[in-house]
Amino acid sequence: MSEQLHDLEMRAVYARTLIELANENPNIICMEADLSKASGTNPAFLTAHPDRFINAGVAEADMICIAGGMAVEGKIPFCASFTPFATRRVYDQVTISVAYANTNVKIVGTAPGITAGPNGGTHMCFQDMAIMRAMPNMIVLSPCDTYELRECIKWMAAHEGPVYVQLSRMKQPAVFDESYRFNPDKAVKVREGKDVTLVTTGYMTQFAVKAANELAAEGITVDLLHYPSVKPFDTATLIESAKKTGKVVTVENQSIIGGLGGAVCETLSENHPTPVKRLGIPDKFGEVATEDYLFGKHGFGVEHIKKACR
Amino acid sequence: MSEYSPDVVRKLEEKANQMRQDIVVMVGAAQSGHPGGSLSAADIVAALYFNVMRYDVKNPKWADRDRFVLSKGHASPVLYAALAEAGFFPRAEIITFRNINSHLQGHPDMKKLAGVEFTTGSLGQGLSGAGGMAIAGKLDKKDYRVFCMIGDGESEEGQIWEAAMSAAHYKLDNLTAITDWNGLQIDGPNAEIMNVNPLPDKWRAFGWNVIEIDGHDFTQILDALSPESRVEGKPTMIIAKTVKGKGVSFMENACDWHGKAPSEEQVKTALAELCA
Ligand SMILES: Cc1ncc(C[n+]2csc(CCOP(=O)(O)OP(=O)(O)O)c2C)c(N)n1
Ligand SMILES: [Mg+2]
Repeated sequence: MSEQLHDLEMRAVYARTLIELANENPNIICMEADLSKASGTNPAFLTAHPDRFINAGVAEADMICIAGGMAVEGKIPFCASFTPFATRRVYDQVTISVAYANTNVKIVGTAPGITAGPNGGTHMCFQDMAIMRAMPNMIVLSPCDTYELRECIKWMAAHEGPVYVQLSRMKQPAVFDESYRFNPDKAVKVREGKDVTLVTTGYMTQFAVKAANELAAEGITVDLLHYPSVKPFDTATLIESAKKTGKVVTVENQSIIGGLGGAVCETLSENHPTPVKRLGIPDKFGEVATEDYLFGKHGFGVEHIKKACR
Repeated sequence: MSEYSPDVVRKLEEKANQMRQDIVVMVGAAQSGHPGGSLSAADIVAALYFNVMRYDVKNPKWADRDRFVLSKGHASPVLYAALAEAGFFPRAEIITFRNINSHLQGHPDMKKLAGVEFTTGSLGQGLSGAGGMAIAGKLDKKDYRVFCMIGDGESEEGQIWEAAMSAAHYKLDNLTAITDWNGLQIDGPNAEIMNVNPLPDKWRAFGWNVIEIDGHDFTQILDALSPESRVEGKPTMIIAKTVKGKGVSFMENACDWHGKAPSEEQVKTALAELCA
């Protein structure tokens, strides 16, 4: 059988897509801050386009503002680092040199949330979605599988303006297939149901799908909305679904403060007040741990999702 | 150069060797962590904890103790090895490194482990923190010293140079920093990824008392760390030439071993070498 996209690590697909884009567009630049192997662009992009691979060293703030300057000159820099260093570490640089200046810079946060695993609290960032979402001009994406990631990266290159994307680095089970097309203005209805609305994004979508399938066997049907774009946020699909089900559960690989759950509550409280249960990390820092342990401790694994939906 | 008795040097060699074994065991047991930069720092950290620094394991918060901040926090195994050897926690616990609920977190966490003076792991922040402790020491009229180790790759962070400026500005002669100059970072040699050199000239230009040493020679390490090497009114920067992965032949100068765990077999080989 030939190789399928979901057999690859997410980071390999990131690198491959960036190379394809760079083959066609001489303005595409790959930027790194001494974590290029972790992002998957080294050796792939480095070998394919050595002249357009810019390593800023361990200097994330410099990387972001270099990218801002390059964008002013017509380049399209993609800047990657671990999520904490690509976002909160450089929050003012991104705010001013990218968002406020509205430069065409793309920021890639790798190993989001609990996927930072054994590196622990310093590297486990739970608030990047919230803080990036709070920034005017910034678009915030979190694809769930390789098919969606590839489409998001292509869209980012074509879109003129700042974009932040979360990139979980390892293999992810396929939620979509080759036919997938990305639309930042549209949530994807992964399952159609009438009992409860389940809202997810990025890394958590695979677990939400599992929960929805298992609930279906119990006779509970889930309206499962996956948001590849948390900003812009498709309010219409959510409101329509909430009107139908009257009950909403959100789940994210982030703090429940200000991220996807925040966006859902903001939307519903102003448009169609509906009870919402937010699953994710409560107001806590990260720690060295496995995924299962953190799911259990904070209550946002498959079983918890099912329980909240019942 | 001072003369140190063979006993003093032999003791430090033994401590450093034990620490290197513990580093290998820790990273091997966790199957995760950073051996390269831990091994390069082992001799200097051994000299600090087993000759130079004043502290009391029974009273880790003793107000007059000397402080050590490991700004390059990914090298946590070298700090944990020293703290175990010093008696801050039982050596048997080193195998819990990077386990759930262990006080030996991936990067040093001052709220979880006594003896850790500052929480680090996000590069570039520890030297500023050490500067803060040095300023506080002066305000409180204490004579404790503050030590801080940074990496050469870490020195690419702009904040390192903000700390360089502030420590000189506030004349922090109670602060001694050490650069673990192993020449390598994650993506490759500093010289290829982002040239940080000439480091000694840069620190001199920022107003520091700069001492260049071989970071694996205890006589030079002890001389540089001794109170007499300080200059009144200036912070001291010891630029220590080291070998990343020092002591484990297959890890030496090999960039790959920055953040990779050895297999069970490789742990055995490494321990055999260190015990030879
Ligand atoms: C702010 C920040 N950016 C990136 C990282 C990821 N990282 C960990 S170690 C490292 C390289 C450090 O190189 P160096 O200081 O030379 O360490 P050593 O060779 O002593 O291990 C990087 C980029 C980090 N921990 N913090
Ligand atoms: Mg180094």
